[in-house]
Amino acid sequence: MFYFITRRSFFAVILLFVVSIFTFWIFSALPADPAALTCGKNCRPEVIEANRARLGYDKPFLEQYGSYMKGIFVGRTYGEDESGVHCAAPSLGYSYDRHECVTSLVAKTIPVTASIALGAFVLWMFFGISLGTFAALRRGKWPDHLSNVFSVVGISFPSFFLGLLSILVFVIWTSILPFPQYVGITENPLKWLTALILPWCVLAVLSASTYIRLTRNGILEVMNEEFVRLGIAKGLPRRTLIVKYVLRAALTPIATIAGIDFAFLLGGAIVTESVFNLPGLGKLTIAAVINSDLPILVATTLVSAVFIVVANAIVDILYGYLDPRVRAK
Amino acid sequence: MTEPLLSVRDLHVSFGTSEGVVQAVRGVSFDISQGETLAIVGESGSGKSVTASAIMRLNFGADVRVSGSASLDGQDILSMSEEGVRQLRGKDIAMIFQDPLTALNPFYTVGNQIAEAYAIHHPGTSKKDLRELALDSITKVGIPEPLKRLNQYPHEFSGGMRQRIVIAMALINSPKLLIADEPTTALDVTVQAQILELISAMQEAHGSAVILITHDLGVVAEVTKRVLVMYAGRLVETASVEDAFNSPTHPYTRGLLNSVRSLDSDRHSRLEPIPGNPPSLIDLPSGCPFHLRCQYAASLNDRCRSEVPELKAVGNSWSACHLTVEELSSDLRAAT
Amino acid sequence: MKRNRIIAALAAAGIFLSACGGSGMGAQSGEESGGRSASLDGTQDGGTLHVLTVQEGASTLDPQRVYTGAELGAWGSTFTRTLTSYQPVAGEDGTNLVADMATDLGTASDDLKSWTFTLRDGLTWEDGSEVTCADIAYGVSRTFAAEVTAGEGPMYALSYLNIPEGDSDFGSAYPGPWLADEEQQALFDEAVQCDGQTITFNLQVPVADFNYTVGLLAFAPVPKDKDTADQYGLAPFSNGPFRVESYEEGVEMVLVRNENWNADSDTVRKPLLDKIIWQFGVDEAVIDERMLADAGEDKNTIVYGGILPENLQTVFGDDSLKDRRTDGFDGFVSYTMFNVETVNCLEIRQAVWLALDREALRTAAGGPFTGEFAKSFVAPLLAADYEPAKLVDGLNEDGTANVEAAVAKMEKAKEACPELHARATGEGLRFDHPDSVTWQKNIAIWIDSLGAAGIKIIDNPIEPSKYYATINGDRGDLMRAGWAADWANASTVIPELFAEDGGFNYHSNEGDPAFAAFQTKIDQAKAETDRSEQSKLWKELNQYVMDQVWSIPGSATKSQNLVGSNVRGAYQWKPFGWYNLGAIGLAG
Repeated sequence: MFYFITRRSFFAVILLFVVSIFTFWIFSALPADPAALTCGKNCRPEVIEANRARLGYDKPFLEQYGSYMKGIFVGRTYGEDESGVHCAAPSLGYSYDRHECVTSLVAKTIPVTASIALGAFVLWMFFGISLGTFAALRRGKWPDHLSNVFSVVGISFPSFFLGLLSILVFVIWTSILPFPQYVGITENPLKWLTALILPWCVLAVLSASTYIRLTRNGILEVMNEEFVRLGIAKGLPRRTLIVKYVLRAALTPIATIAGIDFAFLLGGAIVTESVFNLPGLGKLTIAAVINSDLPILVATTLVSAVFIVVANAIVDILYGYLDPRVRAK
Repeated sequence: MTEPLLSVRDLHVSFGTSEGVVQAVRGVSFDISQGETLAIVGESGSGKSVTASAIMRLNFGADVRVSGSASLDGQDILSMSEEGVRQLRGKDIAMIFQDPLTALNPFYTVGNQIAEAYAIHHPGTSKKDLRELALDSITKVGIPEPLKRLNQYPHEFSGGMRQRIVIAMALINSPKLLIADEPTTALDVTVQAQILELISAMQEAHGSAVILITHDLGVVAEVTKRVLVMYAGRLVETASVEDAFNSPTHPYTRGLLNSVRSLDSDRHSRLEPIPGNPPSLIDLPSGCPFHLRCQYAASLNDRCRSEVPELKAVGNSWSACHLTVEELSSDLRAAT
Repeated sequence: MKRNRIIAALAAAGIFLSACGGSGMGAQSGEESGGRSASLDGTQDGGTLHVLTVQEGASTLDPQRVYTGAELGAWGSTFTRTLTSYQPVAGEDGTNLVADMATDLGTASDDLKSWTFTLRDGLTWEDGSEVTCADIAYGVSRTFAAEVTAGEGPMYALSYLNIPEGDSDFGSAYPGPWLADEEQQALFDEAVQCDGQTITFNLQVPVADFNYTVGLLAFAPVPKDKDTADQYGLAPFSNGPFRVESYEEGVEMVLVRNENWNADSDTVRKPLLDKIIWQFGVDEAVIDERMLADAGEDKNTIVYGGILPENLQTVFGDDSLKDRRTDGFDGFVSYTMFNVETVNCLEIRQAVWLALDREALRTAAGGPFTGEFAKSFVAPLLAADYEPAKLVDGLNEDGTANVEAAVAKMEKAKEACPELHARATGEGLRFDHPDSVTWQKNIAIWIDSLGAAGIKIIDNPIEPSKYYATINGDRGDLMRAGWAADWANASTVIPELFAEDGGFNYHSNEGDPAFAAFQTKIDQAKAETDRSEQSKLWKELNQYVMDQVWSIPGSATKSQNLVGSNVRGAYQWKPFGWYNLGAIGLAG
């Protein structure tokens, strides 16, 4: 197992390295000139060139990549005179559009996105798995039909529509909830909760449908497995049978999917964050797209990639714990 | 004769499917005494496995209908509460499945699963005792290095070894009745004999009665004394193994014997498969279910097409056929 | 003046206009002033105003960088005072220049090359310290720092102040306060002189309306010890009635009352509110729903960014919203420039104008609500200098193409300039435009409608971020652009766009035989100190450009807005095309 973890972590690091160099390369190959973007309408070529040098875009690709990586570990200063800006390690660049170090911009979004992701994840896993289990165990009865309704809603309604609808119903028409405005959990837990409850529910409804289906189908499939019949033939109580035999087997593959889905969510729920006006990673990314803010885009892409690569590694290692058959290979 | 251990009467099992009702078992009755070994043979779809499952109430699904009775020590399993059946399963009646590769839970060690089989019916047993018991049981079924193997997962074992584990698990509570549903079908030929021997040996050690479900007449000859032949959900013949092999009283039994090479038969004897296919269990033919494939039916009157034959004594055997003993005997002798 | 970058980007990406049917719209655009919401009926002191916007943040709060109409007005009315500013009223009087930090509108030397302003007593920063002449001089000097202002703000300090050309990134001998050595700093100190409460600007050219120039926030003071260079815009220091309590892009900006603002020193601003909260990044569809519902705090809310096209009919079809809605010009005029050097034939330029289906272009943009067909390069908001010009003969009033007239012009061109005619009908004329979804649609209309008159177009899309930098060097035959006045004087429109040294003149028209007469008149207008006389000249010059067809006017663009029912004093402030934020109050 130790070997397994070491090997998996090693691959994750290699992968991150490849992803980072690739991301960097893609953005440097884009037609948009990051130096030209720093310049207003009254722009002179000299200003563009000066800013190019200041931000290091005049250097060859590998050197730019090198300085970027170095910045992550030791920090970086942009510009040499007194008007220069220092971004402390881990520096992910400087956004000339927002006049802030990218790291601090990204860092501010992480608690928001993490709050969204965590709450939504807990909700959707809970409802997805419990409704999926109910649906499978009461096949053809009402829980099964309810889960069908969920699935239809989840599949046919885009998150934008569902988000807007929930705002209309709960905020604008009935005023049950205030308009979502993010506040840190340490600052005001109640406000934090009221701001996040709608986005959680919207994301949960959307994703729960997938998990209901996965759980239901997984359970039905496992129920037909010979070892479950043997479990019954052994005289296992129903509860033990469901938990130890059926769920254990049915949920193990779902854990993998859930881990990756969670990582994607950590990368920012773009639509949901936009509709509910939550200043998370997704919203930062989409704003950077609109403003062609390349330093932010590079950083958010890298951060999302890190989440996904790390989640993949964790899920793989976890899977090794969950399924003895994987561990052996 | 002592009171039978298990007494099955007029067992019917049907399943509702989208295409119609599958009448898998239709009016099967038989007894098995303590310590006895009984084989149920038939082609696939004959209802033998469904019969075995019905005894443990392992037929699931929304549209399963089971009627009749199956009394173990005078208690009808089919009318018992769910909890009652549960306590019976694995303790009084245990089962060995066809495919040992899929029968074990891949997520737990074999030691855990064997111990669990005991712990279910003996709550409060200490972990240490459970471990001792599990160790003892896999040692008895002949697994080398049992101490090490106890902590391994099913995928780390070969098929034969896994079937040994299933057997160990089935016998850990010394059940009164052991149902072995095609226990060797999925295994290598070389391992089959070992497993059958093991079942026999364990049966003797625990004094359990055994119902062996198989389509393999060779297996029947190896281990059992009495045989039930099923066809299209019905019992068509019950006989001692000797009678069944030497003087089969039902045309189907005869056809079955001709279609397989028994273990001790001459290698060069010609195989004669039964012509045609078993009937659809959704749309059963009228009269004798076998009449469409029966070489004697044509020579008979319309009874085979219109009337379902009942089991009746034919010599030492019981057979469900409209043919008279004489007609059958002469023809059979000529054929064999 | 720039259009807000983010709105422009959204429009360019087709997000704004995607759901728009255009011509089928029931409600028609027509000027609406906002009714009761524009008045001060029932206003009470205090309260919190909310501003909702889809934008992730302000374009900037840095006075030397801000160049967006609405923001110039909003920051100027709240936390950044300047020497002069505009009369805080609705209507045409709103374009009247008034003294702000200065005691009067300044005194010019006879040659208009030196302007002197005297500071009022009691001007204070948010920490209570005095606003000095040196703070203003320092603020102006920041414009020269290319590494900080990056050409984002207006560049009048560079083109007007008497500092020689040099090798700074902006081409000046003075590189801004951070990079300047003593000698270079002396150059600036010579151009902007402080003497006690008096500040003198020495100019290299005569400027008749320099007192308007200093009303730009680019001429606002910045305290040197509070300056954080590129990051100053994140926490600017206030000398107005409000101060920036917090500013976080993507989240919110909170303006609170500046306790150290000295009301006695300010005859312009009459603040009523306690607090103004800008909420950034609110989804547009959500904004519209909230404004229509008008519940709770949304009663005290205004919007920065307009109404979604699909909601315009709801808003303007419902008379109960009469007191809450506005529909007006935003100060911009869009146009298409000719490269007069390569398209050196009046008949061809006229033919292009006549053949162009302007109605199709407007429909593609979203129909009448997006604007009116422009008849001047000066926006209608700049009432003093605005006069509809006489357009080319035969041009259809409804904006559709007059193919017949265009063909006739082309026939004439065949004789007048056979070479260009052959190129226009053969190889084609190159059209430069930023590469965007909107422009992919637009260029198709150009190609189709001009094709009907036999004129071919070569499509030349340019990466948006490089557009102006590109056409600065390599110009096609036609180029799209848009402009708004920098202050309430067409001196920031006609000369900027068409004259020699015009900061935004991409026409290459200096070689046109008609140019010399034009430039002479421009110089005359610039030096004219009588405002009404000057207006007359601007109108004549606008007509002159129309006659020469150096550019084809597109639309005088409009914007629509809805405010909460408690909002008062939310009038369209003409110089900026948005509300006078600092003057807004709340009723009830």
